[in-house]
Amino acid sequence: MEDKFDRGSALTIFPSDRHEDLAALILAFAIAALVYFLV
Amino acid sequence: MVYTKRTIWPLVIGIVMVGYAYLVQSGQLEPLLKYLNTGRYTGEMLALGYICGGISILAGLWHLAATPKEGLTDYYISTIAGVAFIMLVAFVVKWGLDPLMGLWGRAARPALGFNFASVLNLNYVVMGILAGIIVVNVFKVPGWAENGVRLSRLGLKTGVILLGALYSFAELAQLGKLSVLLIGVFVLGSVWLVLLIGVRRNLPNSMTGVLSAGVGVCGVSAAVAAAPVVQAKSLEIAYTIGTILLFGVLCMFLFPIVGKSLGMGYIQFGAWAGTGILNSAQVAGAALAFQPGGIETLKVAEIFNITRVLFLPIIVLWLAIWYVRREQAAQRDVQQVNAMQVVISKFPIFVLGFILMFLLSSTGIFAPARHYQGSYFDNSEKALLKKDRSGKQIDNHLKPEEVATLHKELDKIKRNDQKAALARLAENRKITSEEDDVLVRGVINSKALSKEGTAVLTKAHRVVRHTAPKISKFRDLIAWFFTFGLVGLGMQITMSSIRQAGGQPLVIGSIVGVIKAVGSLIIVMLLVSETI
Repeated sequence: MEDKFDRGSALTIFPSDRHEDLAALILAFAIAALVYFLV
Repeated sequence: MVYTKRTIWPLVIGIVMVGYAYLVQSGQLEPLLKYLNTGRYTGEMLALGYICGGISILAGLWHLAATPKEGLTDYYISTIAGVAFIMLVAFVVKWGLDPLMGLWGRAARPALGFNFASVLNLNYVVMGILAGIIVVNVFKVPGWAENGVRLSRLGLKTGVILLGALYSFAELAQLGKLSVLLIGVFVLGSVWLVLLIGVRRNLPNSMTGVLSAGVGVCGVSAAVAAAPVVQAKSLEIAYTIGTILLFGVLCMFLFPIVGKSLGMGYIQFGAWAGTGILNSAQVAGAALAFQPGGIETLKVAEIFNITRVLFLPIIVLWLAIWYVRREQAAQRDVQQVNAMQVVISKFPIFVLGFILMFLLSSTGIFAPARHYQGSYFDNSEKALLKKDRSGKQIDNHLKPEEVATLHKELDKIKRNDQKAALARLAENRKITSEEDDVLVRGVINSKALSKEGTAVLTKAHRVVRHTAPKISKFRDLIAWFFTFGLVGLGMQITMSSIRQAGGQPLVIGSIVGVIKAVGSLIIVMLLVSETI
């Protein structure tokens, strides 16, 4: 899939591992907040 | 480049998901759910069906109606279709193929002499990854879904961070000590071994360096992280990724089968998978494939995996220094390494997220401390008298005939403390204390009673054990994030990338990979007990 994307890599839409890690961090804490408030 | 493709498929997928949820809700699929024995999934069928379906319908309308321009909106919204595609495959596998395979396995048992679904470990995790591999290699991932498939690693990392909410201090301390010891030996050992063999076999330093990171630490991510510091060429990275993928995929399917045939427990298998499997994603795959109905094995395996990932900056630093020395010895020009910069730039932030989530949950924000181990003890009348979905009250105290079974079998128990606990259970028709619960569990595990007697004790034990609602939700969400990530991961395992494996890197990678897998198996079987 390498040549099909002009951003990110074949494995991720993010420009680097660090960006992906930060996105995962934000997503996980957003979900934790939802669990805290809604469950 | 514009990523949004004009297609009707996201809309169709959304309608199918919402339609399925509606049919489940209205009871029209009741006979099917009963036949497949998937009634316990009704809650998630409704929630995921409506949420994922609704979002997919909106994305489908965007794909049909919008005239997207190149930019961030187009780039990120176009991922939704791929996410919906992965989720659809996951739904079909988890709610359809998995139970169906279980039924077929049991039905074919008299003819074959064994349950093929159980022996081949055909659960939803294994079949989900296989489905992904088949989709990408046989049918090809549709163009409109390709961008979303690249979110699967994000799903796995989010799952790991959320997993942080489910550990207790004691658990983390015990597992942490063991994992640092095992991972320290096997990560450093395998990096050292690859470097040694690579030098002996006159492989270029860059090839040896990138291969050692991939085989030693956490697979593809480590190879990519180490590549710049050893100035690896694209072809050398491709060789390494091919080797890791080939070896990792084989391990992911073989480890659970070996683990089950050796009768390994959750802790033993988690420790072995977390140490012996090369690639992070495949560690999660093997752990969930070993225990698809729970996440205890995953919890252990991920501690080992996280410990391994924490070694990454150290290994990259080691390789950077090793590479500079080797190149200088060969009198080639090479840039000096800034150690601190390497460590900071390679530190995996998502591991920090895992630790933060663990610290947050340790404050008791999601549930009282004693609720964290998975289940807690509560024998109050409120806990034992529950209402089912139709509002009918269910009394979970032991029935008179169950009490009679216990009285009949009381003499089979030799230990006085266990005998007294069972007498109290029979008298009160429920387990009266947490200490008695431990004793009752001991009797269940010893299999001293008949099948009926053990069933009575198991029921009595289950009705006083409860999972906190927030912790239970975390478990469900984590399982789905990993399912999503692993199905998507399957869609990224292309035969062309595996075919890149070959030559000396494959030979060296395989030798070290096998030594690591077998060595860690022996050590785990010798040193790790189920209770630690």
